[in-house]
Amino acid sequence: MDLSRRRFLQAAVLTAATAGATAACGGGSGTSGSKDSKNLTLWYWSGGLSDKVVGDAKKHFSDITLKTSVVGGDFKTKLLTGLRAAQTAPDITGIKGEDIASFLPNANRFVDLKTVGADKLAPQYLSWKLKQATTQDGKLIGFPIDIGPCATFYREDLFAKAGLPTDPAQVSSQLSTWDDYFKAGVELHKAAPKTYLINNISSVFTMMIGQSARRFIDEDNTFIGDQDHIRTAWTTAVKPYTLGIDAKINDNTWNAAIGNGTLGTEIGAAWHALDISNAAPGTKGQWRVASLPGGPSNLGGSFLAIPATSGNPEEAFKIISWLLSPENQARGFTDAALFPTAPAAYELPALTGGDAFFGGQKTIEIFGPAAEKIPAAYEAPADAAVSAPYFSELTSIEAKGKDPDTAWKDAVSQAKQIAQRQGVK
Amino acid sequence: MARYWPQYLAISPYYLIFSVFMLFPVIYTVYLSFQKWDGIGDMQFVGFQQFRYLWDDPVFWLSVRNTLVIWVLSTVPMLFLALVLAVLVNSTRRFTALYRVALFIPSITSLVAIAIFFGAIFSNNFGLINAILKGLHLGAVPWMSNEWTIKLVIAALMTWQWTGYNAIIYLAGLQAIPSELYEAARMDGAGPVRIFFSITIPLLRPIILFTVVISTVTGLQSFTEPQVLFGSDAATNPNSGGPGQAGLTTLLYFYHQAFDNNDFGYAAAIVWAFFLLILLIVLINWRLVQRKERRP
Repeated sequence: MDLSRRRFLQAAVLTAATAGATAACGGGSGTSGSKDSKNLTLWYWSGGLSDKVVGDAKKHFSDITLKTSVVGGDFKTKLLTGLRAAQTAPDITGIKGEDIASFLPNANRFVDLKTVGADKLAPQYLSWKLKQATTQDGKLIGFPIDIGPCATFYREDLFAKAGLPTDPAQVSSQLSTWDDYFKAGVELHKAAPKTYLINNISSVFTMMIGQSARRFIDEDNTFIGDQDHIRTAWTTAVKPYTLGIDAKINDNTWNAAIGNGTLGTEIGAAWHALDISNAAPGTKGQWRVASLPGGPSNLGGSFLAIPATSGNPEEAFKIISWLLSPENQARGFTDAALFPTAPAAYELPALTGGDAFFGGQKTIEIFGPAAEKIPAAYEAPADAAVSAPYFSELTSIEAKGKDPDTAWKDAVSQAKQIAQRQGVK
Repeated sequence: MARYWPQYLAISPYYLIFSVFMLFPVIYTVYLSFQKWDGIGDMQFVGFQQFRYLWDDPVFWLSVRNTLVIWVLSTVPMLFLALVLAVLVNSTRRFTALYRVALFIPSITSLVAIAIFFGAIFSNNFGLINAILKGLHLGAVPWMSNEWTIKLVIAALMTWQWTGYNAIIYLAGLQAIPSELYEAARMDGAGPVRIFFSITIPLLRPIILFTVVISTVTGLQSFTEPQVLFGSDAATNPNSGGPGQAGLTTLLYFYHQAFDNNDFGYAAAIVWAFFLLILLIVLINWRLVQRKERRP
């Protein structure tokens, strides 16, 4: 085709004008409009909810259209962007457990779930988990999808070889303190020299912080990361390093280590079971689960929230409460390893059955009681940022052989500095 | 102006897109660096406070040191190898097109794929290199956990990616040198080494200057390499540049502050301080290479 210059320019201008007009219209047809929208959008990340349960929700709520998006990549950043540009925000959104605290100062961006019926349902759910999504003036911005009660995963065959107890109940009672646990690790390492007790010392530190009722910042927004509860966690975490039972794995070789017997035990949340069975399918039947030394701890677990711009908050909460009913949570456990937040689910067959990967052990006997006894700790918005230096200094001990006392002093001074920048006293 | 409007219109899309997606964000980060902002709440003007924190922030300075060390470790061997390769390709008669394509492939391969590949090769316990070392009865090297080897791995990755690219540029420069000069030198009895240092290098100086500046800018911006090599899915432990923060480059630290900690104002201050630093280094580079050229 032979285009004259004039025709070309005309075409160009027309195209540009059409594009502009389309873009201008696009804004108006967003989801934030009338208050009784029949079109609701739900954002979650891959594995954040059971896809089967979500699929059933679409059928169950036949009078509305539920559009779901599995958002990949950095979920929190995309949600932040969505919330800034109101018309792109979803009507219901997932929020990861580690991010919930950072959203609390901006609770006005979300619907207070107590105003749409969460207060009646709350007693059925774990109170410490609800507390994580509650502001200091009592607004609830997230409804809990799952939690991560922690336990010790251990290799029964290696324990037998080292002459340690192998029955989960016995392991739980004999290895009930961190010192007992480390002592067992020394014996294990002696019997099987290429086997270490723990992945890295940061994991012990994480568990111990979760066992405490206080974290790095208290309710008065004061820095407490230099106090005894953190110091104790630190010195305990360093012990396996000095005892030589620390595998010092801080990179992506964990998968291989879990498969070839480098790790005799692994401390982590309930959802960690899936990671272990994915990384080492060949060790099926050799792993068992016992209680975590030093008491229950939680790691991870996420929430569903309703942004303030939602088209229909009442209906949105009905969907949330259906998705997270004890029965559907039990299905989520089977389908996506999401550990239920409603204790009623712990009695259901989906959870009380034996797990073949753990030699048929009924793992709920360990995780269930732990879930209900997790301490409710106040988590400040800046908590994650303030805790980061402790972890990087712990890996410095492992990587550079840095002196633990120097590392502690450096961690505290960096944490103090970050706290100050974040407006913590 | 009125006469030329069609031309201005025709080139306008680039400038519109540039202003919206490049210029505006750049100006906005200047504004942000004076605010305290968590991404959705209210902004709070804090003046130069962010920069003052930056000055006292040991992790920022650690990240700058890391970046500079990685930059030197990668740029020096990279430019040297590129020159050697270019001279070799320039002297071949057959398959030159094939060599040029082969040289260019690493720089168009996805960086994420390369980083995953390097991660597998250098893996401490199960990597290819350690397997070979063990096969030769030498000790395994903890590549991914030692303070120095981490930097070496990142530098090797960058060298591998950009050597061919620079070699192509050198090759173009080499081919612009008139062959009479070489003939004359040979007539005067100069050997290949003498020819290389007395003719090739001096005539290639402007090209070398260009590659040094470009490698400085790209080398100092290393981010994806450590992000992929040390990224973990662990929710509670965001990427801090690997064991001992040895692979924490300044841009990775910036990313961590902005998108893990939601500390957007501070992140903006970090990139602006770092921008000034890059500018300074480029200027120093320029002066060093330029001065030699002016010498009679």
